[in-house]
Amino acid sequence: MGLIALGATSALLLAACGSGDGSLGTSSSASSSAAGGGSGSGAMTPLTVGVIPIIDVAPIYLGVDQGFFKDEGLDVKLELAQGGAAIVPAVVSGQYQFGFSNTTSLLLATAKGLPLKAVASGNQATDDPAKDFGGVVVKQDSPIKSPKDLAGKKVGVNNLNNIMTTTINKWVRDDGGDPSTIQYTELPFPDMAAAVAKGDIDAGQVVEPFLTIAKSQGERYLGSNLAGVEPGMQIALYFTSASYVQEHGDIVKKFTAAMNKSLDYAQAHQDETRAILPKYTKLDAKAQQAVTLPKWTSEINTDSVQLLADLGTQDGLFTKKVDVSTLLP
Amino acid sequence: MTPLTVLRRLGYALGLPLVLVAVWWFASAGSTSPFWPPLSTIVAKFPGTWFSGRMTEDVLPSVVRLLVGYALAVVAGVAVGMLVGLSRRVRAFTEPTLEFFRAVPPPVLVPLIALFLGYTGSTSKVITIALGCVWPVLLNTVEGVRGVDEVLLDTARCYHLSRRSRLVHVVLRGASPQIAAGARQALSIGVILMVISELFGANRGLGASIVQFQRGFAIPEMWTGIIMLGLLGFVLSLVFRLVEHRALAWYRGLRDANRGA
Repeated sequence: MGLIALGATSALLLAACGSGDGSLGTSSSASSSAAGGGSGSGAMTPLTVGVIPIIDVAPIYLGVDQGFFKDEGLDVKLELAQGGAAIVPAVVSGQYQFGFSNTTSLLLATAKGLPLKAVASGNQATDDPAKDFGGVVVKQDSPIKSPKDLAGKKVGVNNLNNIMTTTINKWVRDDGGDPSTIQYTELPFPDMAAAVAKGDIDAGQVVEPFLTIAKSQGERYLGSNLAGVEPGMQIALYFTSASYVQEHGDIVKKFTAAMNKSLDYAQAHQDETRAILPKYTKLDAKAQQAVTLPKWTSEINTDSVQLLADLGTQDGLFTKKVDVSTLLP
Repeated sequence: MTPLTVLRRLGYALGLPLVLVAVWWFASAGSTSPFWPPLSTIVAKFPGTWFSGRMTEDVLPSVVRLLVGYALAVVAGVAVGMLVGLSRRVRAFTEPTLEFFRAVPPPVLVPLIALFLGYTGSTSKVITIALGCVWPVLLNTVEGVRGVDEVLLDTARCYHLSRRSRLVHVVLRGASPQIAAGARQALSIGVILMVISELFGANRGLGASIVQFQRGFAIPEMWTGIIMLGLLGFVLSLVFRLVEHRALAWYRGLRDANRGA
């Protein structure tokens, strides 16, 4: 019965997480169709990459579209999944060769002894704490004026004991508040603005496009718990399993090269990046222009990965200290 | 009952679980897969995971929500079911609507219920459970009430039993085997909904804990949660059977008498 319940669970989470395609398991076949039309240097290597239908993964869609992966001889198929917790097992079991997940989830998996290896940067916070792709929203007339006021309040996050709670805690601490009194409540991003408006929670942590939606509904942006803690924080990474690195080092190199090219291209061509969003999310044209994009760069911000590891240790997410070098390439 | 028959009954009851546990134990013994840990690891994690505060802070609130939601469903289901079952007109009027609502799976209502009753707190979770459990009780009650022997009803009327005692002693009693069947079905639906309702705006609870473990890659702990859920279901069905056994003693007697005749 437990298993049935869990199965129903993921279906429900998906239904609740109406941000994207909502089709867990069904492939969004963005693969480059020209299998035979490559540079002619032999057969293409088919790869499956697990991604989440959020703005953060726009570069890989753009890269596939631009043929960066084909140029490396990789036939990439993108599979939409629900989140890092679903992608990590799929990568470890070899169902996906690569995956996208937030940094703290990868550190959690590393701490539990899952052999993972980061292969490319995913996305980063912007450099501007007042204009980031994520952050905390409150009611317009809320008494919460600065991060420290979150102490003792009910704060909605999409995932308890993960990147958003550790960064909010740090954000509040840096501002002189006591984060231990915050009551975190787990809610899906699409429901956060409604829960804040209704007064069920005092504040909610959201990422784009829900940040833009919350603002358009008259909620106030308190600031970013990501860029506010560290500008350019490494929010997510592309990763694979340690065994895959050992057995297919050459493919990993090619993937990294294509991914890095995609990241830099996405950052340099933001109009094209915005234009690719409707391909895998349900953003309308207006939201597509309004959303704040994260920062994409081929460079992994290793210092912030260490910071996230330290914050996780401080908040008791890891039972033992995590060595970030096992995760980082 | 001789000691021997007791022993034999126990053997029947425990045989399959023991075999299953043994198969699991040995099949998983040397497992190195992080997602399929040896049963010995899971068992070793069990006490530390659940008996240091989680029983009172996670399991108990979940069970209380389940029982309250379930009780609401049974009371409402029996009350409405009797009303519908007793009157042909009410039945014709409500049946299509009831079938419509019954067909909507309660899990998809969770976000909607949260929107109206609050994202956090217990109310929305209790209502989710109640809404899911009410249908088997209600529909079984309707059928049970319709199936009550007309002769019995006429006899009760002839003896000038008050309307109230006719309802309680003839109709409700007569329908109770069917109601019990519905209530039993509702109980397992309730356990499933108890878990699902906690995936939305819950910090604590049995279902919420399992998902937290899974997301934190605490896989052995996640397995202990699943086992805990199974144990809870088992205990609940045991309690249900005890209650049913007592409440339907007359029915078993009647059935046995009929068979013997």
